[in-house]
Amino acid sequence: MDSNTDLPYSFAVEYSGPPISHRSLPRALPIDISKIPVAAVVPVSRNSSKLLSSMPVVQPIVVSKLLGCNDTIVSPNSVISFNADKNCIGNGTGNGTGAETETTVSPGFEEQSSGEFSDMVNNRDGVGLGGRGESSGTLGFSDSFDKSREFSGNSLAFRACKESLDLNQQDWVSNGSGLSLSFEYPSSRVSSLKTGDCKDEPSFDRKNRLIGFGDIESETESFVDDIDIDVNINININININQGQPEAARVKKEPGVKTKKGVCYRCNKGNRFTEKEVCIVCNAKYCVNCVLRAMGSMPEGRKCVACIGYSIDESKRGNLGKCSRMLKRLLNNLEVRQVMKAEKLCAVNQLPPEYVCVNRKPLCHDELAILQSCPNPPKKLKPGNYWYDKVSGLWGKEGEKPSKIISPHLNVGAPIMPNASNGNTGVFINGREITKVELRMLQLSGVQCAGNPHFWVNDDGSYQEEGQKNTRGYIWGKAGTKLVCAVLSLPVPSKQVYPTGEQFSNTLGQSVPDYFDQIAPRKLLLVGCSGSGTSTIYKQAKILYKEIPFTDEERESIKFIIQSNFYSYLGILLEGCERFEDEALNNTGNQVSENDETVYSIPPRLKTFSDWLLKTMVAGNLEDIFTAATREYAPVVEELWNHPAMQATYKRRNELETLPSVSSYFLEQAAKILSTDYTPSDVDILYAEHVTSSNGLSTVDFSFPLSLDENNDKSEQHNSPRFQLIRVQARGFGENCKWLDMFEDVRVVIFCISLSDFDQYAVDANGNLVNKMLLNKKFFTSIVTHPTYEQMEFLLILNKFDVFEDQLERVPLTCCDWFSDFRPVVSRNSQNKNISSNNINHSPSMGQMASHYVAVKFKKLYASLTDRKLYVSVVKGLDPNSVDQTLKYAKEILEWDEEKPNFNFNEYTIYSSDSGSDS
Amino acid sequence: MSVAELKEKHKAATETLNSLRERLRDRRSQLLDTDVASYAKAQGKTPVAFGPTDLVCCRILQGHTGKVYSLDWTPEKNRIVSASQDGRLIVWNALTSQKTHAIKLPCAWVMTCAFSPTGQSVACGGLDSVCSIFDLNAALDKDGNLPVSRMLTGHKGYVSCCQYVADDDTRLITGSGDQTCVLWDITTGLRTSVFGGEYQSGHTADVSSVSINGSNSRIFVSGSCDATARLWDTRVASRAVRTFYGHEGDVNPVKFFPDGNRFGTGSDDGTCRLFDIRTGHQLQVYTPHQQQQKGDSITSIPSVTSIAFSISGRLLFTSYSNGDVFVWDTLLAEVVLNLGTLQNSHEARVSCLGLSADGSALCTGSWDTSLKIWAFGGHRTVI
Repeated sequence: MDSNTDLPYSFAVEYSGPPISHRSLPRALPIDISKIPVAAVVPVSRNSSKLLSSMPVVQPIVVSKLLGCNDTIVSPNSVISFNADKNCIGNGTGNGTGAETETTVSPGFEEQSSGEFSDMVNNRDGVGLGGRGESSGTLGFSDSFDKSREFSGNSLAFRACKESLDLNQQDWVSNGSGLSLSFEYPSSRVSSLKTGDCKDEPSFDRKNRLIGFGDIESETESFVDDIDIDVNINININININQGQPEAARVKKEPGVKTKKGVCYRCNKGNRFTEKEVCIVCNAKYCVNCVLRAMGSMPEGRKCVACIGYSIDESKRGNLGKCSRMLKRLLNNLEVRQVMKAEKLCAVNQLPPEYVCVNRKPLCHDELAILQSCPNPPKKLKPGNYWYDKVSGLWGKEGEKPSKIISPHLNVGAPIMPNASNGNTGVFINGREITKVELRMLQLSGVQCAGNPHFWVNDDGSYQEEGQKNTRGYIWGKAGTKLVCAVLSLPVPSKQVYPTGEQFSNTLGQSVPDYFDQIAPRKLLLVGCSGSGTSTIYKQAKILYKEIPFTDEERESIKFIIQSNFYSYLGILLEGCERFEDEALNNTGNQVSENDETVYSIPPRLKTFSDWLLKTMVAGNLEDIFTAATREYAPVVEELWNHPAMQATYKRRNELETLPSVSSYFLEQAAKILSTDYTPSDVDILYAEHVTSSNGLSTVDFSFPLSLDENNDKSEQHNSPRFQLIRVQARGFGENCKWLDMFEDVRVVIFCISLSDFDQYAVDANGNLVNKMLLNKKFFTSIVTHPTYEQMEFLLILNKFDVFEDQLERVPLTCCDWFSDFRPVVSRNSQNKNISSNNINHSPSMGQMASHYVAVKFKKLYASLTDRKLYVSVVKGLDPNSVDQTLKYAKEILEWDEEKPNFNFNEYTIYSSDSGSDS
Repeated sequence: MSVAELKEKHKAATETLNSLRERLRDRRSQLLDTDVASYAKAQGKTPVAFGPTDLVCCRILQGHTGKVYSLDWTPEKNRIVSASQDGRLIVWNALTSQKTHAIKLPCAWVMTCAFSPTGQSVACGGLDSVCSIFDLNAALDKDGNLPVSRMLTGHKGYVSCCQYVADDDTRLITGSGDQTCVLWDITTGLRTSVFGGEYQSGHTADVSSVSINGSNSRIFVSGSCDATARLWDTRVASRAVRTFYGHEGDVNPVKFFPDGNRFGTGSDDGTCRLFDIRTGHQLQVYTPHQQQQKGDSITSIPSVTSIAFSISGRLLFTSYSNGDVFVWDTLLAEVVLNLGTLQNSHEARVSCLGLSADGSALCTGSWDTSLKIWAFGGHRTVI
């Protein structure tokens, strides 16, 4: 890598010279490959050699001769010098005199030449000259030049020359600087050869050309080298044509640099015995030192950097993905695997479908995919013409006997032609005249073939005569037939892998090769506002599906967290206690001034402790306390907790907004938690807050354990699908979720909402106090309408149903504005039982009705946003069964989602097989 | 004093604060009689002209299989580190487009990456709320992965950006979704100081980016989803030196101007702004044309995802969520080139861009999984 620095490259060359104005800087236009007249040139070679002789390209030297400046052989060193030359040419023409000009063309001729030119264009079948007017100008010019040497006439035509010259210039510019330099050599050489004077020039030019390439080569470290190489390729094609070596019809990409046989194409060193890597597109060979430079990071396998994006040389298809020893030496194992995988699988390297003709019809992409992914595909498919008998599955090269029996009923190509295998026996199978060998086989296997019958052979080998119903027998049925086939080298059907009918229903989805590993887990995104219980569900999933949900280390740290939580709960209670005490004192006024004891008062001994606790809390170093003090303070804390003042405060806990509902679970077992040998149980962990990183991301990989009946059902399904539950906690209420677009590969979004939020308030981004349910709704809306999640399935979890039920007894659901039209049917009369109850014994509880109502509200909201169906599940986060059911529900949603396309496709297969048998 | 009273007081104080802020803004706009563009125009400056090959795509770095989220250049060598949602960091040689390292990350949701000043290590951070440091010279572990050499844990939210302090491989500043910025000591893995947070006057929403002053590494600026940018002195962590208001949406990127006295910001409101750190004034707004015409149809405004200044500061490169990359003339506030309309432009959102240390090449990373290097495309000769 360090050797790079030694080479001159134009990454940043500091300019140290006289100041230059912007205008004098050389400019070059970007190269548009389509504008370089290459495509036009190739077809010419196909046509006639007569045209070839008049096949001009671009002639800077001709120009110079035209103007008599014989010494202006453009130096290959810089654009600038070339520009300067051009300028001088321009000036010469501008003066209109061109002292030594001897060439002028008559106007009449000009017409003639343009006529010729248009003829030429016609001959080319409209292939065009790169589709550009300017290049035709080039041609016109050179044409007229050819003649102009023969004629001499007035200055009118000279103006025409000038015009085309201008066009030429334009062309140069548009071809880019790198191009203009190297492009001129071959053409100038050709033209000088053609004109025949200055015999010494060609060799000179040739020398120049080599120098030119050398220059460009040495610049390969610069950022422009790709362009240079492209240009070189074009030139080579030009040379070939101009030298009268017609190319094949298809434009074949040639290596950028022509070298001696056996040497490396980049460094020109080595001989034919040195190990080299070959570019799978252009056949360029590179030695060990150069291969990585020439091929770069190999995003499409072993291709020169310039060849990336081009289809590969078909003769090399067999070597795709087969690594050479050299590459293994250069790259590490992982990289080699990656490169080889890319080489085999990347889209450009796939067999171009149009090269494969089945029954005279070039395939399209989908057809090729079907052909290659069928259970019994043709082996080593190469470009070429094939025939395919859809009914029996016989497959062969056009004009030849069958070579294989592939899967029948594939909807590829056109109907089979009668003369597909060039038979002359008069016997037909499925509309194809069979070959002699086949007829022999049929006779040997006992099929009556007298009277040139037309057979109808199915893929299972059963045959019938055309127009008759009864099956006459099975061709492949006899044991001897297979032997006969082997002797005559005819194919026999391979064992059926799938029963007919549903052969490729499951392969359609993979018409494009699967780049991703099949075993990648399906991702479920669990998202919700803070306090919605996402972490509880996450922990439940861990406990439910993991053998060891928490390691000992984790438990140790969780213990730490639980204890610290406990102190913070206590702190909140103490604060509340003080507040209530104040209020109580205020209420009673000064009437009992001597005895200011209220029910909230704490005895002095505990008071000192509680004050200290509050102080450390405010200071923010709560963590310092319990490491040292857990054991020491445990009795005090317990006493404090059991004190009537605290209990009284605790009773009014719903007035303390900051006290989480789970706190009671821990507060009630204070002694146990504060002991040093406390190990949190799974339930403790479930209840504990802040165990999963509170504002971040946590993932758990799991698979659903198969229950017994499922095992029986799906015995063929060996490994159950793996899932990944990703839990992300939105900060606050989900404003500015920058990370939402990171989860585009998620399959189901599980959105979690706490039902108990309906009477709670929180401060939103603008500092206003807003109902939490409305904030939830807002966040839900923002996620559902987020472009990343447009096509995703949503599962809404209405969490904390247990808390919700309790709450409803105290607060009506209508206290939330959004739910103001909730009119529960009070179940006094028995009629209502039938309407909405799922348990017959008693009418639905208030909680059920209310949760149902909330679910409908969200479903309506979702439908109005997306017009799809929202899945809703009511959950008690702390109840394992409830969470288990919900996650299984998510799995069902996924499976349903996967099956949907198959349903559609089944109809298609029926249709296609029908059409196949009709043909 | 009861809680209700306190709340009342708090509310009153907030209102006062807001009205004062309003007055301050009015006063500022009164004092600002011109912006850079109109002044430059008055001085007869003409926009920088771009030839068609002055900036062309010369390299396409392919190798990621997920959206590219972030990239960074080494200060001295021409190497790039890029972070992608496929869970890999790739270190590229920008000249040969070779990969020198492919680092598999423990957490795939990476948002940012940075090269250390010596080029010996790279840092990255993401949704795991951890900033991970990888020593590029370390030996691979048995699975062929580069091991994490240091985990900087302590953030309570995702790590949205990280940048090394210039010429110091051991100090790093991160910005995070927990509304704070943190200066880390990498050798110990501990926080040297925390900027912002609960008890301090810091950002009130997620920090989305930081940029350290090139000429004075004690000064850095941070942009945040609270639509402000804040200037910090690493010696004074308690409060921001200055807060810059002006944007109407989340501030995504911030970047110091080469001279260190100004900085640029880009925002979800589709504009970029130039602020002066000495006066605290906004110097210029860079509003794309189509947006000016459309007026206030907010829905379709592409947000600014990343910005970079040229070495001289005359050019400002900005990338947008719709795949555009504009080159602005900083002085005249005119778009002089749109890389999104050139050949080989990206097919999806351009998420990050960066200028090489010598200023000769621009690298853009996109959600179409590729990175592209743009540089002078003409034939370079010494005259």
